[in-house]
Amino acid sequence: MDTLLFNLIWVIPLITVLVCAPIDGKRQSLLKTIHAASGTLVLLLVGFLTYRLYSLGIENAAKESAPLLLHYYMDIPWLHMFNAHYAVGADGLNMFLLFLTAVIVWGGILVSWNIKGNQKVFFALIQLLATSVYGVFMSMDLVLFFVFYEMEALCMYLMIAGYGSGRKDYGGKKLTLTLAFGSSMILATLFGLYFESGINSWSLVELSKITLPMDFQMWAFPLMFMGFAVSSSLFPFHFWSPDGHSAAPTAVSMLAAGVMMKMGAYGCLRVAMFLMPEAAKIWLPYVVALLIFNVVLGPFIALRHKDLKYITAYSSISHLGLIFLGLAAMTPVGLRGASLQMISHGFLTGLFFATIGMIYERTHTRDITEMGGIMRKLPFLGVGFVIAGFAGLGLPGFSGFIAESNIFIGAFQQESTLTRIVTVLAILSITTTAVYILQTANRMLHGNMPAKYETLTDACFREKLVVVVLVLCLLLIGVFPGWIADMLDQSIAPIFAKINSAL
Amino acid sequence: MYLPNFIFPDLLLLLFPFIVIGSRLFCTDRSKAPWRIANIGFILIFVLLNFIPLASGTGRFFISNWHIDDFGVLMREVLMVSAILGIWLAKDYFEHGGGGKPAMHQIAEFIGAIAFATFGGFTVVSACDLLTFFLGLEIATIPMYALAAWNKQDQYGSEAATKYILMGSVATAFELFGFSYLYGFAGSIHFDTIYSAVANGTSPLLWIAVLFLFAGIGFKLTLFPFYTWAPDVYEGAPTPVTAVLSVTSKATAIAFLVVLVFGPLAPIQEQVAPFIALLAGTTLFVGNLGALKQSRLRRFMAYSSIAQAGYIMIALLGPATIAKTAIIYYLFVYAVSNYLAFFVFGIIGHHREETFDSLRGLSKQKPSLAIALAVAMFSLAGIPPLAGFFGKFHLFFSGASTGHYGIVAFAVLNNVLALFYYLQLIKSAWIDDADDHLNPLRMTKRQRNVIILLTVAVIALGVIPFLSDNIFAGFTF
Repeated sequence: MDTLLFNLIWVIPLITVLVCAPIDGKRQSLLKTIHAASGTLVLLLVGFLTYRLYSLGIENAAKESAPLLLHYYMDIPWLHMFNAHYAVGADGLNMFLLFLTAVIVWGGILVSWNIKGNQKVFFALIQLLATSVYGVFMSMDLVLFFVFYEMEALCMYLMIAGYGSGRKDYGGKKLTLTLAFGSSMILATLFGLYFESGINSWSLVELSKITLPMDFQMWAFPLMFMGFAVSSSLFPFHFWSPDGHSAAPTAVSMLAAGVMMKMGAYGCLRVAMFLMPEAAKIWLPYVVALLIFNVVLGPFIALRHKDLKYITAYSSISHLGLIFLGLAAMTPVGLRGASLQMISHGFLTGLFFATIGMIYERTHTRDITEMGGIMRKLPFLGVGFVIAGFAGLGLPGFSGFIAESNIFIGAFQQESTLTRIVTVLAILSITTTAVYILQTANRMLHGNMPAKYETLTDACFREKLVVVVLVLCLLLIGVFPGWIADMLDQSIAPIFAKINSAL
Repeated sequence: MYLPNFIFPDLLLLLFPFIVIGSRLFCTDRSKAPWRIANIGFILIFVLLNFIPLASGTGRFFISNWHIDDFGVLMREVLMVSAILGIWLAKDYFEHGGGGKPAMHQIAEFIGAIAFATFGGFTVVSACDLLTFFLGLEIATIPMYALAAWNKQDQYGSEAATKYILMGSVATAFELFGFSYLYGFAGSIHFDTIYSAVANGTSPLLWIAVLFLFAGIGFKLTLFPFYTWAPDVYEGAPTPVTAVLSVTSKATAIAFLVVLVFGPLAPIQEQVAPFIALLAGTTLFVGNLGALKQSRLRRFMAYSSIAQAGYIMIALLGPATIAKTAIIYYLFVYAVSNYLAFFVFGIIGHHREETFDSLRGLSKQKPSLAIALAVAMFSLAGIPPLAGFFGKFHLFFSGASTGHYGIVAFAVLNNVLALFYYLQLIKSAWIDDADDHLNPLRMTKRQRNVIILLTVAVIALGVIPFLSDNIFAGFTF
């Protein structure tokens, strides 16, 4: 029964698209109600399943999924032609990422209520995007995983180019093609994984039981890791992210930064590092060198930008760099920090982009130099933005603090000098983060207000709801990190055990 | 002489051109009767083919040099799908009086030519000696020359046809030259004898033969560096001819290579592999590069299908079973996606110039056409969950199964390039602002139904891949 419900997570959005297909595009409120209802339904479903996972306990996982601790596990043959299976399952990490996705998708639907253009197609695309992201976080078979992983880039392009602002075609193409470049690297290594493993299987569970040949790992790991890292905007593949985010409509920015960029980090951990730990040990120090750019230079670039979305995009780049720092530490605390950061940053950046989108809808500009004093007219949105900012710079009480402190502790446990230096630099760069966030908030929210903003109205109930839910999620992780960290610890234990055995 | 019943589809198809052309004696120049007869007949043949039990043995001989195996049967089905869709597309063309002629003028001859070309494909996959093999290839090619020159008044069409005939003849000469060396090497034209001769050891003679065989077929399959005729011919020929050229011709040529590489040349597949990989890599790169800057629809499709030929070549690197399955599946998918695109372009071509700019505002005027176009393009680009992705995945799977990761990685990276130009086309249809000066588009009910059918087919073949899985369930090559 639970397994059936679990599979419904990605099926419901698809069914919603099919249900809406015959409805006349002019009946917008009906369409939007259906989509919002479907988003809420999935959110409740994922919430229920997360609670169920918690009450069952991670350790009581399906036996056949060992060494992973997967619940709701199911594995049926799918494509005989190349031996692919329909295998899904979730442990704590997957479940929380699914929950994050459900919240962001739900919020994305609500904030796009008044989007211009063909709404019917837009909401259908959001649902398709949701399907693909749910699929990525559920699938335990690499073919299935890749199908969902590649699907999402295509929806992104159509949504950005069709409904975005500014240089939308350019931004959309840049994003989609760069992501496609990343997934092509992944695909190439997947074939190698299948044939070199000697067991002819795409199943993560099966593949994790064996040790892949070292010479294969040596070339496959960097390709696959970088392929995934493209969508997490690791330097030097970060360039798509600012242009893509700034051109995208609000919901897409939320989904792209909140969820899609986590897919890359998730893939790095779950596929690349888990299956090829020996090569990971050799290659990850180089990754540490790369992420100096992300965590140190990212905030400085954000400092110089005037466009709110560019600022947030570069802030995302720096936060994503921290995830990689946690991964590269290869210690239990570091991995826990990295997974916490994936979840925390998802809510955080979702909140960021949601408030920015709402402000942009009112002021019609994202340039902070043109804004000022809007706190007086938009107190609710202003506070929402400031909360997101504070959570982003790691204020205790919010989830960012928990995640980042874990990452820093974990990384410092690594006995390599380079990692320690980078850790210190990363800690110092929080100051830069504070500077650009305070500076942005100050310019935008305080000071003289231009006369044209006198008529602005604050958030409506629908918008307030989204902001409140996202803030609640941030607070929940920040104030009660224990239970979520415990579940993550247990889920990551098999991954760490495999990595540890290679050390 | 005993004739097993599974030769009936072949015989029926051989009779068909005569029946269709003969029906002209009893009806007027502009009657639809020949089209109706052909439609029923082709579908009948397709259905009959489905009754041939697969996996009942590899290779069933009737006459000394005509044999049917599972690959042959499935290849026939691909060719019949292409022929059926081809005549449907032809009806659109003729109804609109393509080439400035009255409606339905001489459609019987047109269908006859398509039937002959299809029969040529049947012959290629049934051959077990060089003579039949060569005959098949020629039967498949010569009707194409006539079809390419269909539009006599059109300057570009005539130029294209001339180019095609000249290039094609040279290719045929290459082919024959290769055959003669192969014969000289093995001392026989029978595949079995050639196989054992090749297995016993190679000589420079054999390599010359292989080189010329690949060069000859390279023309027909539009491989680098023999692809140069394709853009001109694709653009100059009438739309249905372009579609048939891009599917039937290509399928025949690739079937020729499959028969050759996994038949008489199987012992040296390992040694030929680098050569195949080189051809595949250069072809798909050049095709993708060429398509980047095109602004005319059919030229664009020409380069796109050149690139597709490169992708298909990769499958030839794998072991026979995987390679054949991959190629059949991909050809099905490619046929359906390509025809879908050509149906859309056909409708646009009847009212507007065939350029990217003519697509502007399509998503607002005719959303169904715009969706169909997007599905076709994403399928050709290999985006999951559409059929094209699983097709390409299968091709790469075949190449990778023998450890050719280099060429697979190169092809996969090239897909990014391909995605760029397919997105370009989607952008014209979906994103760009509408242009009010364009003529309005009209669609008949039949056209709409065909487009819906093909769109659903592209999605279903991909989303529900076990449908296609069942086609191959439990059969041997």
